Amino acid sequence: MAASNDGNSSPRSQLASRCFEDLLDSIIVDVASECHRIARLGLDRNLEEEEEELRLSVQARVADPSSSSEANGKNIVDIFGQTHPAIADEIFECMNCGRPIVAGRFAPHLEKCMGKGRKARKVTRSSTIARTRHSRGSPVSVYAPYSNATNTNRAPNGTTGGAGEEYADYTYGEP
Amino acid sequence: MSASSSSSVVAGRRDLRLPPPCPHLADYRSSAHGLAKRFRSLRRCLCVRPLGRPEIRRDPHEIPRCGPCSSSSAGGGGGKGPRLYACLACASVCCPAHAPAHAEEYRPGHEIAVDVDRAELFCCACRDQVYDAEFDKAVVLAQATAAANASASASCPRLESLRKRRRVDYRPWTADPGDWAAMRRGSSPLLFPDSDPSSIGAANTSSSSPSSLPWGLRGLNNLGNTCFMNSVLQALLHTPPFRNYFLSDRHNRFVCQQKGGKKKGANAGRRGGDCRKPSGGSSVCLACDLDTLCSAVFSGDRTPYSPAKFLYSWWHHASNLASYEQQDAHEFFISMLDGIHENLEQDQHKPQSQGYGDCCIAHKVFSGVLRSDVICTICGFTSTTYDPCLDFSLDLDSSRNSVNVPTAKSHGCNGENDLILSSQTCGVSTLMGCLERFTRPERLDSDQKFFCQHCKVRQESLKQMSIRKLPLVTCFHIKRFEHSSIKKMSRKVDCYLHFPFSLDMTPYLSSSVLRSRFGNRIFALDGDISDAATELASEFELFAVITHNGRLEAGHYITYLRPSNQWYRCDDAWITHVSENIVRASQAYMLFYVRKTLYYKARENASAS
Repeated sequence: MAASNDGNSSPRSQLASRCFEDLLDSIIVDVASECHRIARLGLDRNLEEEEEELRLSVQARVADPSSSSEANGKNIVDIFGQTHPAIADEIFECMNCGRPIVAGRFAPHLEKCMGKGRKARKVTRSSTIARTRHSRGSPVSVYAPYSNATNTNRAPNGTTGGAGEEYADYTYGEP
Repeated sequence: MSASSSSSVVAGRRDLRLPPPCPHLADYRSSAHGLAKRFRSLRRCLCVRPLGRPEIRRDPHEIPRCGPCSSSSAGGGGGKGPRLYACLACASVCCPAHAPAHAEEYRPGHEIAVDVDRAELFCCACRDQVYDAEFDKAVVLAQATAAANASASASCPRLESLRKRRRVDYRPWTADPGDWAAMRRGSSPLLFPDSDPSSIGAANTSSSSPSSLPWGLRGLNNLGNTCFMNSVLQALLHTPPFRNYFLSDRHNRFVCQQKGGKKKGANAGRRGGDCRKPSGGSSVCLACDLDTLCSAVFSGDRTPYSPAKFLYSWWHHASNLASYEQQDAHEFFISMLDGIHENLEQDQHKPQSQGYGDCCIAHKVFSGVLRSDVICTICGFTSTTYDPCLDFSLDLDSSRNSVNVPTAKSHGCNGENDLILSSQTCGVSTLMGCLERFTRPERLDSDQKFFCQHCKVRQESLKQMSIRKLPLVTCFHIKRFEHSSIKKMSRKVDCYLHFPFSLDMTPYLSSSVLRSRFGNRIFALDGDISDAATELASEFELFAVITHNGRLEAGHYITYLRPSNQWYRCDDAWITHVSENIVRASQAYMLFYVRKTLYYKARENASAS
């Protein structure tokens, strides 16, 4: 019953309008009845608390609109009155080779020391598997879609390779 | 919302409570009209459509009409709206315009009617919907009968044992003289240069003197793009049950390493021949490294600690993630818990239920159970599966332009409040909004039709998730990083997410979701232990927030911790005090909530663990 150009007086369009209004009324009453029951049986959430939380959140963001306070200047003094260099300068022994290493450069050293890193890894990411596992539409899947990390939500920060990186498909030992 | 009702099911803040009946309903209940008989005959008229509302029809093809004015539920005939009420006493049907007159004419006894299209009781004298437990019970039984003809019992062998271990009261332990002596012999006090011995133990004031700062706050050195690791470690070290486990010496690294030496041979061939025994003879154990870390962080030494051994052990465990590049904090978190599970599970010889955390501390603290229902839209047949989960990954609704209007599911709909809330939440994503979306019934695509065992064909279906068992500590992972293999690009979703400091998880529990699926009727669903304790067990408190700042390729993780309601920013080696506004305004990536109340179950076997 598409909108006809006859205007409001056409009996067909009147009937269609009445039909629609009745349906709409019925839906509204459904919702009203459900909400009435929820409110009466005490199932509704504590709206005052929620509003208060949201208000505080809005206030907080107004007070600090930029997230610049999150970025940390490295010259600040911590709560214990200490300052630290940008690159950690503690020196300790590598547990793999025994050499003394500066803390801030331990990870790159260990990478080479243990023979890990990009050169060493051979496994590639299978994006199809990742996509399937991540899809919400697998009703008979054994694994809940939210149970483990999937490959589609990682933040490979600090890489220079961008999306062309090779990542292993990490599977977790599900019994 | 007071809990003072005459016949509440349970005393509690958020349980299903039965409001006191109006005088007309009360009269009706106590009258000699035979209420039970009346409801029984009503039950015969209850028609339940799968996924639909229960209706009252004497005859399946009956079209009820108002006696005086002949309007039907579908409107028309000048009727006053699509509602029809059938009087419980005489079964005459009236529309809202004529119902009060009927009640008045035949009073007393004809005030209570039932909405024929919704199976809801209505008091024509009070002109309001009223509620009765017995009536609801009749409706639910009709719905359950209809469903039972369709669905198989939700069989899930792993969850059958509902862990009905007896709940016991917490008995505080006090040391006897022998215990005191043992403790004095085996321990030494934690003293450090800037502390005053008399203030040890009274650490929870907001004063900034070092001795009154919370225990366990200690910076972690960045070893080269390892802020993803530091942020997660900070959160874990301050996860109360996790921290307590290690501080209570439940995993003693010295004992474990000794045992590990003996197991060197046994380890070979485990996990597909991946025996990564490092040089030096010690066995890799992430739990031992955590024990070391815990001791270091709570030692009182405030100089930043380098978690080098931990990185080394983790790279042994997760060799495919071992590289100098920045990693994803959430992925590290899961990997780490998996590593702990592996290390600790070696000790058990019988299969453990991950969902109930019998296997290791990681599962005991973080593991919950998710329920997944797939419902046939044609016949209502429901297939249910349960799966353990370590955390909850939630999608951000980045296309959020619309006003956040609360749905009817488990929210109140007060008129004015609704408008105020809407204007404030316009466009803001909230954690609760994400959880709602998570537990919302989702219609599966027509190309993903589910094989209905009742219909014996593939049908369109709905899928709905809910939480069967909440973990002790709930970790929420906000999916801010999108990788599109089609577009061959990844992007970060930067939009703000509001998160509360206190969180009630009740609306997302399976019991709540199931109840709302049955129209929120007053009826205890089978298998659900609904008592005050369970209600309180759904309240959680935020204690750690991991945030990510910057771009996908170049970003930084920091953790905000909340010991004794003061917020501290842990940015690698730098620990600073911040106001709660900074935390509220931050861009949350992972959120950690701990259950407010803990319950203890009687031990399964008598031997000391």
